[in-house]
Amino acid sequence: MTDRIGKHEFSRMMRAAASLIREQQPLLSQLDCVAGDGDHGTTMLRIMERLEAEFKEDTAADLKKCFCDAGWNVMACDGGASSSLLGAFFLGVGDATQAGISSWNCGEFAATFQIGLLALQSQTKAQPGDKTMMDALVPAVQALVTEAKTGNKISDALPAAARAASEGASATEKMVARYGRARLVGDKTKGHRDPGAVSVALIFQGFAQAMTELKGDATHARHG
Amino acid sequence: MKKFINRPENIVAELLEGFVLSHPNTVRLAGSNLVARAKPKGPGKVGVVTLGGSGHEPGLSGFVGEGMLDVSVAGEIFAAPGAPRCLEAIRLADRGAGVLFVVLNHSGDVLSANMTMSLAQREGLNVKKIVTHEDIAGGPNPDDRRGLVGFLPVYKVAGAAAEQGRSLDECLAISERMERNMRTLAVALTTATHPSTGQLIFSLADDEMEIGMGQHGEAGTGRMKLKTADETVDIMLQMLLDDLKVKAGDELLVIVNGAGATTLMELFIIFRRVHQVLQGKGVRLARSKVGEFITTQEQGGFQLMIARMDSELLSLWDAPCNTPYFVVP
Repeated sequence: MTDRIGKHEFSRMMRAAASLIREQQPLLSQLDCVAGDGDHGTTMLRIMERLEAEFKEDTAADLKKCFCDAGWNVMACDGGASSSLLGAFFLGVGDATQAGISSWNCGEFAATFQIGLLALQSQTKAQPGDKTMMDALVPAVQALVTEAKTGNKISDALPAAARAASEGASATEKMVARYGRARLVGDKTKGHRDPGAVSVALIFQGFAQAMTELKGDATHARHG
Repeated sequence: MKKFINRPENIVAELLEGFVLSHPNTVRLAGSNLVARAKPKGPGKVGVVTLGGSGHEPGLSGFVGEGMLDVSVAGEIFAAPGAPRCLEAIRLADRGAGVLFVVLNHSGDVLSANMTMSLAQREGLNVKKIVTHEDIAGGPNPDDRRGLVGFLPVYKVAGAAAEQGRSLDECLAISERMERNMRTLAVALTTATHPSTGQLIFSLADDEMEIGMGQHGEAGTGRMKLKTADETVDIMLQMLLDDLKVKAGDELLVIVNGAGATTLMELFIIFRRVHQVLQGKGVRLARSKVGEFITTQEQGGFQLMIARMDSELLSLWDAPCNTPYFVVP
């Protein structure tokens, strides 16, 4: 199996991530009630359904167009900060993707996601430790970069990113919010995970699951 | 949840449809869920655009019309609209003299607005942005102060200045002066349900109230035992007067805005006390408005806004306007 990631893989990954968010929608909304208005689950589901649609395998779009359209349309989801930031991330990924190419190796994948993260960071000053989605996203992208540098495969890099995101999301439980709407209630957010960080962790968990399944499919095909 | 809705995912589309149908001579729907003036402003005048989540009716689209807003970008329930539709609104409102983009300080709105500004600049559109942040519950740092009902005087003076043919820079300067001179504080009594999820957006004991509650029921900081109307006004008004450093002889505009479930009966009782206190301090109550301008579903409570006015701001406040929820003949 060649170690590349393209539209076929992203299509499965988005589907898996959307299904996890769908399952956990009540939890996400409930976490948002601590400091927000309790609609994070609904918002994330709208965003994920948009992403799922943009990466449908039967569309003719190349990888660049998929990510650019995904970024723009996620931004247009009217999902407050979540959709603006995730939209900026995917638009950044799209901008950094060469036109016409259909897949990346692990290094290209990590590098492009890193540029996506930079694009998102140009929209917010929030850093890890501020109890936001950055607490999951920054370590996840960092894990991808580290895995790629070590020469690991995408099918190892994504589970590593998922673990990093999930640890980052868990760590938000002890933090006090300093950014976004939640900062206004500060101390009250202690003892609850940040809904945005939990969402990002679920997305990477879905990505990793799909990648593991795809690897399993390929192994079956070879041996079967 | 007990609400007259159809399907949760259709709430915004259906409410906007009903809203424009009920005011066909003033507003219309344009593009993707943009509320625009029925008759566009004349060419060569500055356009005024705003953005904000839905579920706060009549805010913000209720103030689209002659003398106030040109276009309002309505988001999903309690969620800011994204940059793509804001950009569309700015293009629509541009009559050749540029556009003033009024943004209430809430994280989602500000993110969308910043993204919109960079896209607009890339297109070469002439747009200036003003962020309203007058909620003193956020503390001394202006970035932490939310934009509450103070949007109303800002829309009003910006819209009036634009209608008079003032330049974009002048409209911006006037709006900024209005913004710098206003302060708001909110108090909540009872919670509201999120119309899409059916969940309560916060909880408050039957005998409690909370000063500093956000527009979306975000928890505030001053939770205390329920007090009488007069006691509540005394606490809130003193905080506002101190923060704005109001002196005897100053001329104030006062707005009492009901959160959704608090009755006009209560709002008048509250206003009466505001009047008494100001009179006692020798502060002039130059203009006032009592009613529902921005709500959060069936939330109980109110926002109290004070603004220091000068003669130009007063004359712009008094200028004619014709919008569904604010008319000056």
